[in-house]
Amino acid sequence: MRTTSADLHTLTGAYAVNALSDLERTAFEAHLTRCQSCAVEVTELAATAARLGAAVEFLPPPQLRARVLAAAAETRQLSPHTARVPDPRRKRWAGGLLAAACLVAAVFVTVDYSQSGQERQLAQLSSEYSRFSDFLSTPDAKLINGRAPNGATGTAVVSASRDEALFLAKDLPQAPDGHTYQLWLIGADGPHSAGLLDSRSSPVVVSGLTGAQEVALTVEPSGGSKAPTTPKVMAMPLA
Amino acid sequence: MPERERALQSLQSTPRDVGPTADDLLALVARGDEAAFERLYDVMAGSVFGLIRRVVRDQAQSEEVFQEVMLEVWRTATRFDPDRGSANTWILTLTHRRAVDRVRSAQAATHREDRAARLDPARPFDEVSEQVDGRLEQRQVRRCLSFLTELQRESVLLAYYQGYSYPEVSSLLGIPLGTVKTRMRDGLIRLRDCMGVTG
Repeated sequence: MRTTSADLHTLTGAYAVNALSDLERTAFEAHLTRCQSCAVEVTELAATAARLGAAVEFLPPPQLRARVLAAAAETRQLSPHTARVPDPRRKRWAGGLLAAACLVAAVFVTVDYSQSGQERQLAQLSSEYSRFSDFLSTPDAKLINGRAPNGATGTAVVSASRDEALFLAKDLPQAPDGHTYQLWLIGADGPHSAGLLDSRSSPVVVSGLTGAQEVALTVEPSGGSKAPTTPKVMAMPLA
Repeated sequence: MPERERALQSLQSTPRDVGPTADDLLALVARGDEAAFERLYDVMAGSVFGLIRRVVRDQAQSEEVFQEVMLEVWRTATRFDPDRGSANTWILTLTHRRAVDRVRSAQAATHREDRAARLDPARPFDEVSEQVDGRLEQRQVRRCLSFLTELQRESVLLAYYQGYSYPEVSSLLGIPLGTVKTRMRDGLIRLRDCMGVTG
């Protein structure tokens, strides 16, 4: 059983009855910020679920009333949300980063829910997700995009201070039999392998960016090559 | 004439009987109005406590969660956004989340197996059926629940009233995860349409 961005939409019901894990809830809420129709449906289904709540009305013991009111009198209320002052340096990336966040959130909820492996996979998911959140909160995180002739797109979140990039491809066609996609960091001293794309839709973390000017993708025989043996499918400048 | 008088009277008395809504009160509470919070307590306490009690079961724990939730309503009223739903929905959503947090806490986890073993999937609806008579709201919920397929009803009620996650519902009902997710959504959509909920 796999969850992909395509069926994230079906989580509206499970979200409204609070049947998601904390992690899935976070990923789904990230999705909601981008999916207007999901947000409308969630509002309606939450209101529907609340009616189920109201249907089991039962009065609390009367002595709790004075206790709650006394506690409120001594409790400071949160300050209201105030509008964020846009930072022009970051604004440029904000939309793209948010899009990348949702894309990756969507990918990260790709969990196999086989009973045995579930705990392990959730733990893995959790660590990957927090790694990605860390990425986005890095002050110098920037987003670069690439496009292949066949319409596939690549997105990388790059952080020079962390010396890492997170690469994610979308709509990549299946590599030919016996072949795989390989990612390269290309600098003045030539290409260095940055790893294989295990799946065409999972993010890959690339480290050791120093000296690299470009991220590129090629098709290589399974297991990968020491240097690119085919033309680049996609190339994205890092500078 | 008496008929006309009664009609007039009922027209005039309607606003007074209904009083301020939870939305009106919550807006005042957000401005630190303690008197409004007192009235909001009276309007919402029954729904809030009833839902917690239904999910948590244990009386002492339910009372604890209830006090926490009511205080959180006071504390976070400033963050309520009327564009994203009614005050009633906002409060009951918060209530449900806190009740479920309680039953999913580490302590509760040790009792989970035993909780699951006690559970008869047919029970949530039966209990609702027992509890819901009299009030219009309850009659409507009961009527609308009867329009759901058995799997839709069980999926929605096991999650909502028992606080189970969808993988737990899947294992209890012996149906695939994807099916549970779609049944929850389809069931709620059917309820929404039956109740005329517009969000």
